[in-house]
Amino acid sequence: EFCSSLAGIMLLEVLLVLGSLLIYFLFSKKKEEMLPFKDGWWGRGQKPVTKEDSSIRPFKVETTEEELSDLFRRLDQARFSEPLENSCFHYGTNSVHLRKVVSYWKNQFNWKKQVEVLNKFPQFKTKIQGIDIHFVHVKPPRLPEGQAAKPLLMVHGWPGSFYEFYKIIPLLTDPASHGLSDEHIFEVICPSIPGYGFSEAPHKKDFNSVSAASVFYELMLRLGFNEFYTQGGDWGWLICTNLAQIAPNHVKGLHLNMVSVSKLGLTHLLSVLLGRCFPRLFGLQDEDIRRMFPFLKKGLYRILSESGYAHIQATKPDTAGCGLNDSPVGLAAYILEKFSSWTDIEFQNLEDGGLERKFSLDDLLTNIMIYWVSGCIVSSMRFYKENLQKGIGTQKHEKLTVQVPTGIASFPNEILHTPQAWAKKKYTNIISFHFMPRGGHFAALEEPELLAKDILQFVDKVEKEQLWKKK
Amino acid sequence: GFVIYWFVSRDKEETLPLEDGWWGPGSKPSAKEDESIRPFKVETSDEEIKDLHQRIDRFRASPPLEGSRFHYGFNSSYLKKVVSFWRNEFDWRKQVEILNQYPHFKTKIEGLDIHFIHVKPPQLPSGRTPKPLLMVHGWPGSFYEFYKIIPLLTDPKTHGLSDEHVFEVICPSIPGYGFSEASSKKGLNSVATARIFYKLMSRLGFQKFYIQGGDWGSLICTNIAQMVPNHVKGLHLNMSFISRNIYSLTPLLGQRFGRFLGYTEKDLELLYPFKEKVFYNIMRESGYLHIQATKPDTVGCALNDSPVGLAAYILEKFSTWTKSEYRELEDGGLERKFSLEDLLTNIMIYWTTGTIVSSQRFYKENLGQGVMVHRHEGMKVFVPTGYSAFPSEILHAPEKWVKVKYPKLISYSYMERGGHFAAFEEPKLLAQDIRKFVSLAELQ
Repeated sequence: EFCSSLAGIMLLEVLLVLGSLLIYFLFSKKKEEMLPFKDGWWGRGQKPVTKEDSSIRPFKVETTEEELSDLFRRLDQARFSEPLENSCFHYGTNSVHLRKVVSYWKNQFNWKKQVEVLNKFPQFKTKIQGIDIHFVHVKPPRLPEGQAAKPLLMVHGWPGSFYEFYKIIPLLTDPASHGLSDEHIFEVICPSIPGYGFSEAPHKKDFNSVSAASVFYELMLRLGFNEFYTQGGDWGWLICTNLAQIAPNHVKGLHLNMVSVSKLGLTHLLSVLLGRCFPRLFGLQDEDIRRMFPFLKKGLYRILSESGYAHIQATKPDTAGCGLNDSPVGLAAYILEKFSSWTDIEFQNLEDGGLERKFSLDDLLTNIMIYWVSGCIVSSMRFYKENLQKGIGTQKHEKLTVQVPTGIASFPNEILHTPQAWAKKKYTNIISFHFMPRGGHFAALEEPELLAKDILQFVDKVEKEQLWKKK
Repeated sequence: GFVIYWFVSRDKEETLPLEDGWWGPGSKPSAKEDESIRPFKVETSDEEIKDLHQRIDRFRASPPLEGSRFHYGFNSSYLKKVVSFWRNEFDWRKQVEILNQYPHFKTKIEGLDIHFIHVKPPQLPSGRTPKPLLMVHGWPGSFYEFYKIIPLLTDPKTHGLSDEHVFEVICPSIPGYGFSEASSKKGLNSVATARIFYKLMSRLGFQKFYIQGGDWGSLICTNIAQMVPNHVKGLHLNMSFISRNIYSLTPLLGQRFGRFLGYTEKDLELLYPFKEKVFYNIMRESGYLHIQATKPDTVGCALNDSPVGLAAYILEKFSTWTKSEYRELEDGGLERKFSLEDLLTNIMIYWTTGTIVSSQRFYKENLGQGVMVHRHEGMKVFVPTGYSAFPSEILHAPEKWVKVKYPKLISYSYMERGGHFAAFEEPKLLAQDIRKFVSLAELQ
């Protein structure tokens, strides 16, 4: 106990030293300039002289007997290591439970059926900046007289995919059939980040979130959308943020279910140290306090214990991903661990990691199959290096603010909590910030209805404000 | 004031308490543990080799980014070449014979079957007894790393060296590594391992012995010296963990202050520019440590199922930790200091025993509670110590730093060349320094 209080004091001093070193950042005002569009060419070899084919081609997910029998052989011959006694999910994915998942995967999971499920929404591919971009494009089945569908770009993250949106899409494109108001109806576009799923992986170095945002911006323009909404969490949060910074005049509204602040300064430090005693002084609400403190446990230790994957992926992605692209069971263990701890950190105390409490095995395995059949795990990990290799807080876009109307849905079991007081330093036009009653990191998949409702009320606010401004 | 208190370790000559443990599956049986020492031979089978070949054949590679060399980790274009050698030329049966050239044994300690090799000198000048020397490996190494240095220590005369010091060498496998049984219980850390190895030496009849190690071996041997200093004649290390040590912050003051503080030209060369050589280096190279110290079962799962994935993961270290500049090379400079046979033999030890996950758990057991939380981190070491500073070691430890933790440092050498896997890469240089140290230690 003495040691931990000593550790606390040492931590205090380290933080104070860091704080005083960062003091000048307090005075550097964030600039309101735009982020430049990042052009690039990510194809193999040299960029050809001929103009790029910009056609939009329909795409269908397919599978073969060979693909399935190869998978089954690997599942059959998987080599497991016994877990330590009473370790639950504290050492990572528990192999005893993993064996059960693998058994289901082999004997009950029906990939052919899941492929049909994937194909129920129209999918397309189109070449942008040298690589084939995959996306789902769902139009509303019916529209009331005189109403136009609002285009909504939804971007996934890691280790997710476009499939995470399959439950929320109907709530947004066809709200009336799901008991929701049809005041706002959307046509939804869910692309796959280059290097993820069915989008081609970049062949050149330096494809980061700004590159992805630029590619998706080109996609929306190609689809004929001049104004659209964007929504995202995980990498989707950053890509949509960058898009709002690149093309603020085209982004009507930015909705996020995750926010991360990278420019930390003295105020953040003081909030952490004194926030519990003087919450209002730092703009913290009761729910912020509940989610953030005790800070060592919910902040620092959580970051350290949960960011090992990000550290290795940001430095040696090709090493980390090599085995994962060769062992489906290893890939499943790696990905499922996130669907456990990032849904509820307490799930680590359960023998089964609480995996099936909020998700069906079919959904979890379908997401994993997307990584497996496309062989994209390594390229998906490289995105971490491209974004984080220079360190957090060093990139240009991190220093710029976002003026586009922003809505934030703050889920209680998200890995780290960002209070509105911190978010509004970056997102200067937050018109909606709500503490969601339940749910974690994979919001769209876990709580589609809650998320859809928050998106709807946000869009409603944006539209009404626009109308008022026009008047 | 607190900062100073925190960094100044206690100076009194305390020892690490010798506790006890039991790591086998289930509850500890009431019957007394079988203490017999049983001979052991590495074996293989057609089935084992066929399974390996099948997995290699169906390996799915991801093409590297153009011009990425080894900056994103192990380059998969070069990996294909390694894999081709592994599949078509590497002879595991022959390597198993090589492994069996030294006598292997197993014995049960604290509930686990501990594997070790025990090599006695083939010839001894009359009237002399060999000096017992315990050598401990690290991660991702194994007892096999010592195969080239052992003859230089047990049979110096045949290798053109003076027979002033002749050793009998004991190389155990850390529990959970290679042929040593893995723990079934949580908590088996370096201190428990140190105690197990001390019990091993005791069981073998050695009352006083030398110990040598790098990587985890360095920490385990340090713990042994802290636990039973009266039994340790001398401690030789080729790597040091930076612990609570006010000196380790002083390089932040800049290169000019460095000279005032007693750093040598060589120290300055290896530590500056500080941001690049220390800070960025640590951040860039410690991803594996971070994930293994938090989620070993997750990261190891695929590695125990994909031999090629295992090879990429391990070989990346044999590239970067031998020389950081090897990241600039398309082939990671892997075969400049090691033969593919040797590298693959080490990997096969992890593969055939299925010990990658248990080997990674050692990181969580030692580092998972945070740094500076274990008692031994604050304690000094009071046995005669020798240190070889290899120039391409991941992080350079100047004599000033080493002396704080090891006040009885009697030998500190800047080695001519070599990196992290010293015994494997530069056996002659390391053997020379061990002998130089032992000469000094014998005088104590």
